[in-house]
Amino acid sequence: MDDDQVLIKKILAGRRSDFEELMKKYNKKIYNFVFRMVRNEEVSVELTQDFFIKIYMVLDKYNFEYKFSTWAYRICYNLVIDHVRKHPMLVDSLDTHPVSQKKLMDSKHYVSEDGFQALEKEEIKQYLWKVVASIPLKYRELILLRYLQGFKYDEIAQITELPVGTVKNRIFKAKEILRKEIEKDGMFE
Amino acid sequence: MECLSDKKLHAYVEKSLPAVECSRIRDHLIVCESCRERHRRILLLESCLLEPVYQEPPAVIEEQVMRRIYARIPSLSSVLVLIGASFLFLVSWIYVYFDFANNSFIQALRLTTANTSSWIGSVVKVISTVFTAVYGGFKALNKFFAIVFDVNVGVEIFALTLLMFSLLLFYGIYQWLFKRSKKQKI
Repeated sequence: MDDDQVLIKKILAGRRSDFEELMKKYNKKIYNFVFRMVRNEEVSVELTQDFFIKIYMVLDKYNFEYKFSTWAYRICYNLVIDHVRKHPMLVDSLDTHPVSQKKLMDSKHYVSEDGFQALEKEEIKQYLWKVVASIPLKYRELILLRYLQGFKYDEIAQITELPVGTVKNRIFKAKEILRKEIEKDGMFE
Repeated sequence: MECLSDKKLHAYVEKSLPAVECSRIRDHLIVCESCRERHRRILLLESCLLEPVYQEPPAVIEEQVMRRIYARIPSLSSVLVLIGASFLFLVSWIYVYFDFANNSFIQALRLTTANTSSWIGSVVKVISTVFTAVYGGFKALNKFFAIVFDVNVGVEIFALTLLMFSLLLFYGIYQWLFKRSKKQKI
């Protein structure tokens, strides 16, 4: 039994503070996943709240044979996808306009030779995660599950109900889109 | 060796290739500048992806969730606790105030069960003893306030104490039952 499962046993025994602990553990990751999926702060707050309430309501149906995080993200993923289906404009309106301009590029001229490498990577990282939020949803969701949440390919397949091969293929395509987007903006030079 | 495909380079960076394949790719990267450059970019991309940039979630999320989840349970529990506590308070108050422990239903029950050794007899004896003791305490408290402060507030103080005790007792019972029902679901 892992840490999450011990915590869930305590929550089911009726301890309020343990649900707070579970929420603290997952709040940041879930919020960031939802936010990058729907790209709207207000909606992200609502969906994250709905997720935790749903988790609380169905916690007694959780099967301890499975990993809690995979089960929870399946619920979160379905919640977000349902919302996206109901409000497609909200999610896809930016897909054709990835990121307008990168202002961070200018700052590297003020850095000494020693600090250049680190700052360059930091710039690319900041820029890259902005680009992630703008790629098409079918690629974005997999990149977020893989890199934001740290799931393995087979776990992503379970969450999204896609074949593992499709997951691997889409993640490769997503990374190629990201690489080309960054190259286009001259960030790798 | 031909130049490496992007797919192969991504797999190499992800360390998902067999050792023999990795060694061949390493050898090729030493001699091929174009693949080396692509590898550098893919490696940088992968390392940036592995260090996600998180945004702090608004604090309102946790507050709202806790309020929405736990507001439901106390609303039910507080009604149950209040009903139970009021009932307990009313019964106890009537019994104590009118000293029913010595001349009422409990007295009758005590007499009926006096010669039996059943558990009902023991329960009645315990209840009777508790009420007698509480009644004694009640009278003593009244007398104490009458002598020391020359006022008759013992009744009110006793009633409040009894009410608080009833509330605490019923809240404890409710919590215990609630936890039990939750445990059974696991």
